[in-house]
Amino acid sequence: MRYIQLTNPETRSLVPAALGGRLGEMGLEDQIDWLFGTALSGFAGLSRGGQFPVDLYQDKDNTYVRAELPGVTPDAISAEMVNGSLSIQASRKVKSPEGEENVWFSRLVSLPDDVQADKVTAAYENGILTVTLPVKEEAKPKKISITVN
Amino acid sequence: MSLISSLIHPTEAEQHATQRPRYEVEETDLAFGLTVFLPGVAKSGLEITDDGGELHIKGRRAPGIPEAAPALHRESSDAPYELVFSHDSTVDTGKIVAELKDGVLRLSVPKAESAKPRKIAIN
Repeated sequence: MRYIQLTNPETRSLVPAALGGRLGEMGLEDQIDWLFGTALSGFAGLSRGGQFPVDLYQDKDNTYVRAELPGVTPDAISAEMVNGSLSIQASRKVKSPEGEENVWFSRLVSLPDDVQADKVTAAYENGILTVTLPVKEEAKPKKISITVN
Repeated sequence: MSLISSLIHPTEAEQHATQRPRYEVEETDLAFGLTVFLPGVAKSGLEITDDGGELHIKGRRAPGIPEAAPALHRESSDAPYELVFSHDSTVDTGKIVAELKDGVLRLSVPKAESAKPRKIAIN
């Protein structure tokens, strides 16, 4: 089972950047828009398709992206690096009056610049997809030894 | 504390709060089917109890990220899930079947014999 495929598409992904660009560069207005957007769309969209909640963490070795995708089989999830952003797409079967139908979810997550895109790993457990993206060696803090003459 | 960060970072009192998970209820002639979305909850963190007409579902979210890693951006909540269904004597709580898979809990709550539809023979 492999989630990560490295692709070099000519154009940026068709999925709109949900967070409105780089994290940390959001203005107050964008933050308020984002807050209302997530409060209103949030998890309720799950059976109809659309977005799903995403968390982003970072320690000195890795950046972690956690996406809530309950009830999705791992085969139906794809995650790929697109021009320095992480694109996550998933589908889930739901019952409808006409039988079963697929609903689709997608998010494009902006990532910090210092991510090592070719060493990305992903795991799916308890309905949560965790993508681990190692930080580039040169971006890690280096200890400089100082010799005193 | 600014408005935005007070919304994102819960205060001490709010840390004891629970969140209501998304759920769906279906009804057939024989049973009620409950589907509860509990992302991040493992079997060990799930507790289902029936207490005199109330079916309680509680789920603790397992931490999935090293604790030392600070969050850059959060949209989910670590608060435990809590959902309570009240019911009358028309369900057979002794025969509830529960299954948790990929963060989705499916419960089958059979109706009591007296509540099932009966065909009445006509003489």
